[in-house]
Amino acid sequence: MKRIEVKAETPGSVIRHEVVPGDAVAEDDPILTIESMKMEIPIPAPVDGRVIEILVAPGEAVAAGQTVAVMEA
Amino acid sequence: MPFEREIAEHARRRGKALAMGSKRKLEEFAAAGLLNARQRIAHLLDEGSFQEVGLFAVSERAADRDRSPGDGVVTGYGRIDGREVGVVAYDFTTLGASSAPVASLKFQHVRKTTIARGIPMVILGEAGGARIPDVMGARGIARTRSHQVYDRRRQTPWVTAILGQSYGSPSWKAAMSDFVLMRKGAVLAVSSPKVTAVAISEEVDPEELGGWRMRTEVTGEVDQAYATDQEVLGAIRRFLSYMPSNANEPPPRAPVPPGSGEGMARILDIVPEQRERVYDVRRVIEVVVDRDSFFPVKERFAKVLTCGLARIGGRTVGIIASNPIFKGGALDPQACRKATGFIVLCDSFNIPLVFLTDTPGFLVGVEGERLGLAGQIMNFNHALEMATVPKLAVIMRKSYGQAYINMGGTADEIAAWYSADVSFMDPAAAVNVLHGVRRQADPERFEALRRELARDTGAYDLAAGFLAQDVIDPRETRAWLIRMLAVHESRASGGIGRHHMATWPYNF
Repeated sequence: MKRIEVKAETPGSVIRHEVVPGDAVAEDDPILTIESMKMEIPIPAPVDGRVIEILVAPGEAVAAGQTVAVMEA
Repeated sequence: MPFEREIAEHARRRGKALAMGSKRKLEEFAAAGLLNARQRIAHLLDEGSFQEVGLFAVSERAADRDRSPGDGVVTGYGRIDGREVGVVAYDFTTLGASSAPVASLKFQHVRKTTIARGIPMVILGEAGGARIPDVMGARGIARTRSHQVYDRRRQTPWVTAILGQSYGSPSWKAAMSDFVLMRKGAVLAVSSPKVTAVAISEEVDPEELGGWRMRTEVTGEVDQAYATDQEVLGAIRRFLSYMPSNANEPPPRAPVPPGSGEGMARILDIVPEQRERVYDVRRVIEVVVDRDSFFPVKERFAKVLTCGLARIGGRTVGIIASNPIFKGGALDPQACRKATGFIVLCDSFNIPLVFLTDTPGFLVGVEGERLGLAGQIMNFNHALEMATVPKLAVIMRKSYGQAYINMGGTADEIAAWYSADVSFMDPAAAVNVLHGVRRQADPERFEALRRELARDTGAYDLAAGFLAQDVIDPRETRAWLIRMLAVHESRASGGIGRHHMATWPYNF
């Protein structure tokens, strides 16, 4: 099992989580949604795997490149 | 029997050459589930169509003559779906398919024939690099100049598949090609991890140096990656099915598969009415184009922009679509590079361009500036200006600022969906910029100002000034494109463009 950090590609603020830790996800499935550039933008799973932890809460600001969740795959 | 001795000798020599470099290595290939060079060619081409050249070629060095069948490369001609191609397959079982003078002569022979006769070139790459000692010393390395040609002018399509460890020669060929594929597990790099480790005194992980994820996601040098040799070879055949054999032919037409266009009614459910909601534009493309005809290019690189070949009404088109599901569809420097390369490909081979636009604009910021965003935007624009293939654009929702120009604003025909919104910038963002008012601070005033700024930004405003030629229902998109592709067929030139970018760089 490899630990994989999921990073935000764009800065924004967290709107909601789309999964809970423990959920299995496929590549490109949304893990959480942020608001950026007036859009609701999903942060997708980079690979197939399982979400271990989501590091940011709704309302919180995230920077581009910030690790927002951890997966194992 | 006349010539009995000669017949036996001919059979012996042919058998030895066909047995390739090393029985042990051939067994290793088979055990690993990989095809060898000759099996790859057989799998790629129409059955029985391979016509080899250079079967009896060997190394020019006396010491290697007996152990270098074909000089490490299998070359010739064959057919794909009945159309001729030139093919070069590196034979890793023979001295690691290392490049050497006679092998280079074989490559150049096939290259020249494909250009002179107007047929595509397919390269199946896997090589350890240049052959030692052949290239050692001043004469060794300097002489390689006469074996290489680097001025490809896009007269015929080039496809390279990287099917194993590839250092040196096949990596250059990949970099010069119109379409590049890779088997997962193969490595594409300038030098091997061993040479690299020695040069920079650092252990190098092959996957990190040039594995499929790195090449498809980080650099975008590889268009598609597949798990097996067979899948890669199938994808080469598929790529060529969209392409003309050469730049002086229009792309081949194909029958329209039954069921094409049936999904058009669903399009209203794919694209959300609420403009802050995102969607995957690939779902739109799938219902608009002929059934199952979408063939993505660099799908894992610069995902904010989806590019790919497809057919609409049986005609090959190049689709360029912003994809809101990634970064809201905001275009970054990598997306511009991807667009530029794709426009060069399509224009060089007479493939009309179709834009599907929904973008908040270019992704401005420090990162983009560091990557030369302005230069990349202008390369993208320059390519559009140079292109002489028909350009059609559908403005689906947002199209703001300079990105409006890049994403279809220069097209020959523009259709706006009634949901289109076109301006210098997003009206909501403009409220902040022009009036310094944020929604959270004063929701009422913000909304009033936003409404004011959102005036004159709709589809009918664009159409009123004849800056779009029509306003259409999204469900009419496929029919509009089919009709306009027919109207814009370049009859005067027999469908052949002027190819101003045929000598543009290989990579952007």
